[in-house]
Amino acid sequence: MNPLYEHLESALQRVSGFIYPNEVELHWGLLVVIYPYITGLVAGAFILASLEKVFRVKEVEPTYRLAMLTALAFLIVAPLPLLAHLGHPERSFEIFLTPHFKSAMAMFGFVYAWYLMVVLLLEIWFEYRADLIAWRKQSRGLKKLLYWILSLGSKNTSPEAIAFDRKAVYAITLIGIPSAFLLHGYVGFIFGSIKANPWWSSVLMPIVFLFSAIVSGIALVLLLYYITSMVRRKTPDMPCLNKLATFLLIALIVDLSLETLDFIHRLYESEESIEILRRLIFSKLFLSLTIVQLLLGTIGPILMLAFARFSRLPDEMKRLVYFVAAALVQVGIFSTRWNVVIGGQLFSKSLRGLTYYKLELGGVEGLLFGVALLVLPFVILYVLVKVLPPWEDTRPSEST
Amino acid sequence: MRVGKIPGQVVRLAIVLIASLVVLLLVRARFVPESFGETGHYRADVVPAIAAQPIRYAGMQACAECHDDVAEVKASSYHRGLTCEGCHGAAADHVEDPVEATPAVPSGRESCLRCHEYLGARPTGFPQIIETIHNPMEPCAGCHDPHEPTPPAVPGECSACHRAIASTKSVSHHWSLDCETCHLTPQKHRENPRAHLPEKPVAREFCGRCHDRAAESAATVPRVDMADHGGRYPCWQCHYPHDPEGHS
Ligand code: HEC
Ligand code: HEC
Ligand code: HEC
Ligand code: HEC
Ligand code: HEC
Ligand code: HEC
Ligand code: HEC
Ligand code: HEC
Repeated sequence: MNPLYEHLESALQRVSGFIYPNEVELHWGLLVVIYPYITGLVAGAFILASLEKVFRVKEVEPTYRLAMLTALAFLIVAPLPLLAHLGHPERSFEIFLTPHFKSAMAMFGFVYAWYLMVVLLLEIWFEYRADLIAWRKQSRGLKKLLYWILSLGSKNTSPEAIAFDRKAVYAITLIGIPSAFLLHGYVGFIFGSIKANPWWSSVLMPIVFLFSAIVSGIALVLLLYYITSMVRRKTPDMPCLNKLATFLLIALIVDLSLETLDFIHRLYESEESIEILRRLIFSKLFLSLTIVQLLLGTIGPILMLAFARFSRLPDEMKRLVYFVAAALVQVGIFSTRWNVVIGGQLFSKSLRGLTYYKLELGGVEGLLFGVALLVLPFVILYVLVKVLPPWEDTRPSEST
Repeated sequence: MRVGKIPGQVVRLAIVLIASLVVLLLVRARFVPESFGETGHYRADVVPAIAAQPIRYAGMQACAECHDDVAEVKASSYHRGLTCEGCHGAAADHVEDPVEATPAVPSGRESCLRCHEYLGARPTGFPQIIETIHNPMEPCAGCHDPHEPTPPAVPGECSACHRAIASTKSVSHHWSLDCETCHLTPQKHRENPRAHLPEKPVAREFCGRCHDRAAESAATVPRVDMADHGGRYPCWQCHYPHDPEGHS
């Protein structure tokens, strides 16, 4: 038999109810799940870093630079899933040449470029400038050249110049917070504005995305801070971890409330789609939504964090609980993205049937490639940390 | 490096920024097609380029100029909605030079089956056949003039045009009911269906003729309390009449 028919036949055994022919196969797969997940991490890590600068939360200072580098590492990877999914990455620069202001998707390039160039890179540059100069002085050969290029040949370490750096960082952070909101709110907007899809179409979508981004970013920085401390055989700073845990807890609660609000709102409105969404939640998404996203990824961590934060556990135990909670949060947020992206395509526009999604192993849309994309930011982060050590205790300049 | 009151850092960044802008502008100048944006968010030159492609279809009016006999017959037939080139293929070259280039004459059975072989997804009322049992082997044109395909005899079965419904019903609980039990159908419906539509049940009471507790139908017919079963809704709000299900 024609392999195409064979494929269709096996596919049709998995759909239920009534499905339009072009809905059997999903168009947005794992890569489009990874994309909002990664941009969420970027925005979240950045917002956490900004807290320190803007609201002067002293406790989280040890994570400031780590958070900035994390945001940068993930931001570099953020467009890759899209480029891989769309194909023809060599054409992507054209959206910069001929900007299309009425297309939200086409504007992403600008949101991204603004955030990368104007916010992240600038802020990191000002933050590190004095250190770059000091490192240049200490090193020789190629390394010296690298630091010279990175510092753009800047030499001035006078108190006025350093004071200016600080002011610049502050100013950029002020622009940066709305920009981070824009970056991830935008991703939510893309989904929230698809009016034909009742699972996506919701004005709350950008806000829900934003808060889940903050949740995932804080959790990621907490994890990284904990792991890097272990690797460097340092005891993590407990007030810092406690503060991170508190932020994570608050963000989780806000996130859960928003999602619940969205849910109740849908239930109360009871539009004609409610029946199929109910079926979706109780069949195809039961595991990933109810169990993983809600129980394991949200309620579990809330209880763990609340308990550990306000109990008299010994510090080692607390750290362990925080660590496990933050790891669960990552899994939970990933399945949140999954439930949005995949879930939104599992039901028919006829509201009468469900289709299926089967993850391939190989290929560009496959599991292995997805895993590689998720590992890549950590590789980049490793390099960044080597070049720009974020640790308080190894800072060469007296700019602290 | 300090220009007036501007600190050195900013000057250096400004140089990098200006350099990137220059690169961007150069790339733009090199890669954005000249006519881009003249008429919309696309390359305006593409319009004449597409317009310059050779024309392959002539359109039905062109054919009618010479083949007025065929066109006239077809215009009042079942096939009035079809274009000539839908069956004969692109024929602009034939219009240019009728003798040198002649269009295809699709005399095999397949060419008709493209539209008439039974397929559940076709709209209800569309005449369909099952190729293997509808006069197999014989060319269609032997009995149906392709330009005036009125069948030699008026189709008798409702399934000729409503096969999906007929086959659904035949394996449903209503298998024993004739279509005309529920649809009073004028004979003309088979010849000119849209102009003479059959009747459809309009009220709940219709189904009650057999399903009411007091109805005079066979004892095996399941009964419901017409007064409160299903509220005020028509029965077919919940039961598809061609495949009714009574157990959820
Ligand atoms: C300028 C007049 C003219 C126009 C316009 C014209 N035809 Fe013809 N057509 C002819 C002539 C003359 C013949 C006979 C040619 C022959 O027998 O070699 C013919 C023959 C045919 C045949 C039979 C070919 C065969 O092999 O027996 C078909 C089918 C046909 N035309 C279809 C069309 C269609 C479809 C169009 C419209 C796109 C069309 N014609 C437009 C003049 C025309
Ligand atoms: C449903 C498909 C179909 C359509 C629509 C159609 N034809 Fe034909 N046509 C045929 C077939 C099949 C034959 C061959 C008939 C045969 O084998 O006897 C044919 C034969 C012809 C011939 C050959 C001479 C003849 O009369 O047998 C001409 C000329 C012709 N068609 C012109 C036209 C023109 C002009 C139109 C549009 C007004 C048209 N056809 C529309 C299917 C079609
Ligand atoms: C491009 C699609 C198409 C092709 C090819 C086609 N037909 Fe049709 N046929 C139609 C349409 C449309 C009708 C009108 C249906 C309606 O009235 O709803 C029709 C109607 C008919 C009818 C009338 C049935 C009835 O009683 O209502 C017959 C018979 C028929 N076609 C035979 C043929 C034959 C024989 C051929 C091959 C020469 C053919 N058709 C090729 C589309 C097509
Ligand atoms: C031996 C003559 C004969 C041949 C050959 C023939 N038909 Fe028919 N066709 C009929 C008759 C008679 C009817 C009407 C009575 C009936 O329903 O069977 C009919 C009816 C139809 C109908 C209306 C629907 C229906 O089932 O009544 C369509 C469509 C149709 N034919 C298409 C075709 C096509 C397409 C071919 C070629 C594949 C073809 N016919 C070959 C005699 C023929
Ligand atoms: C020649 C083809 C043909 C045959 C035979 C035929 N129908 Fe139809 N029928 C149609 C078409 C065409 C329509 C209009 C469909 C539409 O409007 O989309 C239609 C519509 C209907 C409708 C819907 C009317 C409405 O108001 O929506 C009913 C009921 C129906 N037919 C019943 C029957 C029954 C019962 C028979 C057999 C006794 C039958 N038909 C035989 C072609 C046919
Ligand atoms: C038990 C009674 C009953 C029988 C038997 C029945 N129908 Fe119907 N049919 C209905 C009712 C009631 C409707 C109106 C449904 C609606 O309006 O939603 C209907 C609607 C239709 C329609 C138009 C809507 C549609 O579903 O496409 C067609 C065509 C039709 N019937 C054809 C048939 C044919 C052909 C048969 C025989 C094979 C048949 N019906 C047998 C009750 C019946
Ligand atoms: C609001 C939806 C609804 C409407 C309207 C409705 N039904 Fe039902 N019907 C059901 C459901 C659900 C069942 C199966 C559960 C049950 O037994 O109540 C059913 C069962 C039945 C049965 C099978 C009972 C048995 O004992 O096996 C019959 C016969 C029936 N309905 C006929 C009708 C008739 C006739 C009408 C119109 C007067 C109608 N229904 C209107 C929902 C509806
Ligand atoms: C002419 C009598 C008759 C009419 C009119 C009729 N039915 Fe029926 N109905 C039957 C028969 C016979 C059965 C099958 C009983 C059996 O399964 O043995 C049946 C079975 C049913 C069942 C039960 C199916 C099951 O699961 O057991 C439902 C529901 C039903 N009909 C709904 C309707 C509706 C809705 C209408 C109106 C559109 C309708 N009927 C009109 C005779 C009728």
